[in-house]
Amino acid sequence: MTQSSAIYKVPDVAGHTDVSYEEKARLFAEVKSDVRFSDYLYGCYECGICVAACPSARFYDFSPRRIAQAAAREDVELIYQQMQEDIWECSQCFSCLRCPRGNNPGGIITIMREVSINNGLNSAKEALGGYSRIIYKIMSTGTQVSPDMLQPDAFPDWGPETGDVSNNLDLWRRALPSDTLHTTSTGWDVSERTLVELYLIWFHTGALSMIKDVDSGLHAILQEIMEERLEDEGIEL
Amino acid sequence: MPSDTVAVIGGGPAGLRAAQTIAELGHRVVLIEQHHELGGRPIQENYAGITPHGEPAEPLLRRMAELVTTNPLAEVRLSTEVIGVRGEPGDFTLTLESVAGTETLDVGAAVLATGFQHFDPGRETQMYGYYEFPDVIALQDLEGMLKEHKVVRPSNGETPKKLCFVQCVGSRDRHIGNEYCSKVCCGVASKEAIEVRQLLPDCQVYIFYIDMRMYGYWESQIYWPAQEKHHVQYVKGIITEVLPKGDKLIVRGEDTTMGRPMELAMDMVVLSVGMEPSAGTRKMSRLFGVAQNKYGFVRAASSPLDPVSTSRDGIYACGAALGPADLEDAVSSGSNAATKAISFIRTRNAVAEGRDAVVTG
Repeated sequence: MTQSSAIYKVPDVAGHTDVSYEEKARLFAEVKSDVRFSDYLYGCYECGICVAACPSARFYDFSPRRIAQAAAREDVELIYQQMQEDIWECSQCFSCLRCPRGNNPGGIITIMREVSINNGLNSAKEALGGYSRIIYKIMSTGTQVSPDMLQPDAFPDWGPETGDVSNNLDLWRRALPSDTLHTTSTGWDVSERTLVELYLIWFHTGALSMIKDVDSGLHAILQEIMEERLEDEGIEL
Repeated sequence: MPSDTVAVIGGGPAGLRAAQTIAELGHRVVLIEQHHELGGRPIQENYAGITPHGEPAEPLLRRMAELVTTNPLAEVRLSTEVIGVRGEPGDFTLTLESVAGTETLDVGAAVLATGFQHFDPGRETQMYGYYEFPDVIALQDLEGMLKEHKVVRPSNGETPKKLCFVQCVGSRDRHIGNEYCSKVCCGVASKEAIEVRQLLPDCQVYIFYIDMRMYGYWESQIYWPAQEKHHVQYVKGIITEVLPKGDKLIVRGEDTTMGRPMELAMDMVVLSVGMEPSAGTRKMSRLFGVAQNKYGFVRAASSPLDPVSTSRDGIYACGAALGPADLEDAVSSGSNAATKAISFIRTRNAVAEGRDAVVTG
């Protein structure tokens, strides 16, 4: 049995390596010290209305009630376990805001996710792993989805016209009224200056350091891409 | 002419309010209390603060008693017991016994305000070790500590770092025979939990419960502040037993909403004992010839719309003599029983004088 936990079983950390009690306590302290925390958690009736409202709870072994309870009880073992698994099963729809006590389990999860990412937890790396390509594409082109992703047989449920559009993509795009949409490898034309601004926003908001914690390789590539552009703009970070 | 005096048996909150009401409405009242002072359980058991707001109990009860003792129509007999009841409704003769000897008292009606006693958690079905482990105490024991502003482990005098309340001890239990909810223990335990947290900010406080019954305003007066402001931990799941481990107490139970068994080491365990009819309530019920319910409380013959009339005309009951009651319930039924007793006497007089039974004064 651990120091202040009510759990009477071996902590389940979703297959990840377990860490010391002190480390878990530190992570929870970081969650709790977030300025939003006191507005997101009052007291829990354990009534389950949040679970009843939660779409994720219908598909996963996920419960916003358990999130609120674990936080209210300051059960650092369970909170760590949730940071390694449960919090990534939330769709952040905030249906749980119907709590009669005014709790916001989804908001607690927002904070827990940020702490997971900022501390490079394995679960954060796994959950965000699939986004590396998207982040790379946004940083290098300024857009995420591009017309050339529309392969003839990739989206059969979109109907028979999809094939025709993708076969004559350049022509279809040129038919669009705005010049900036006459592109096929990006969603629209993005200027170099916009890419620099985007990079600066990510840098100053901490998004870049989150990316560094979760995927240092990707972070190095982004830095390399931007190096010359920043130099052209005369910006030093 | 039979007596217009009303006897009130029991000087706790309900009896005091009944006596006060009778005197203020212009009738002579004799308040009979077996102990040497007025105030009932809150005084005898050293309650610290009144539930829900936590204001000191003793001054409030003393002030309440003064409203009776200073009224010229009220007479208080302390250290006195009723040992005999003769006569018929409207014309009773009570035999009173005190160190001074026995005497008789003629009354037109009587109000039983004989109250409750705390459930004895040492009963054999209880595995909480109340008489075995010094650090296992009951609600009223903690009240006494809080009144002295000193909460320490009885075993070693140290300040507790972890303290828990176990709810429904002696209540809602078929084995014990008390199939009722004692109504106040959720509020009292939560109030005490707040007081412990205020006194000992480093002490973690848990409340293990079956249902939290914080009706009406107690919700926002006690329950929410306990959780939100004072961080008292409420865990739905009752403790099956208390076991010693080193100098700690292990409480075993299930954290039901989390779906897992739990064992926690505590420094102190507080048993939220329920209410049972006091010895006085049982004895006076028999003496006055009023029916008791299966639990031994006075049976309210026309409940719920007339909660103070008993099975016998001219005898009324109030407060926790009728069953578990909080202070608001107790004093409300005290006034209610007082007015019923007075209207009974006035109706008796009207009938005797050939007037209409509805009397205005």
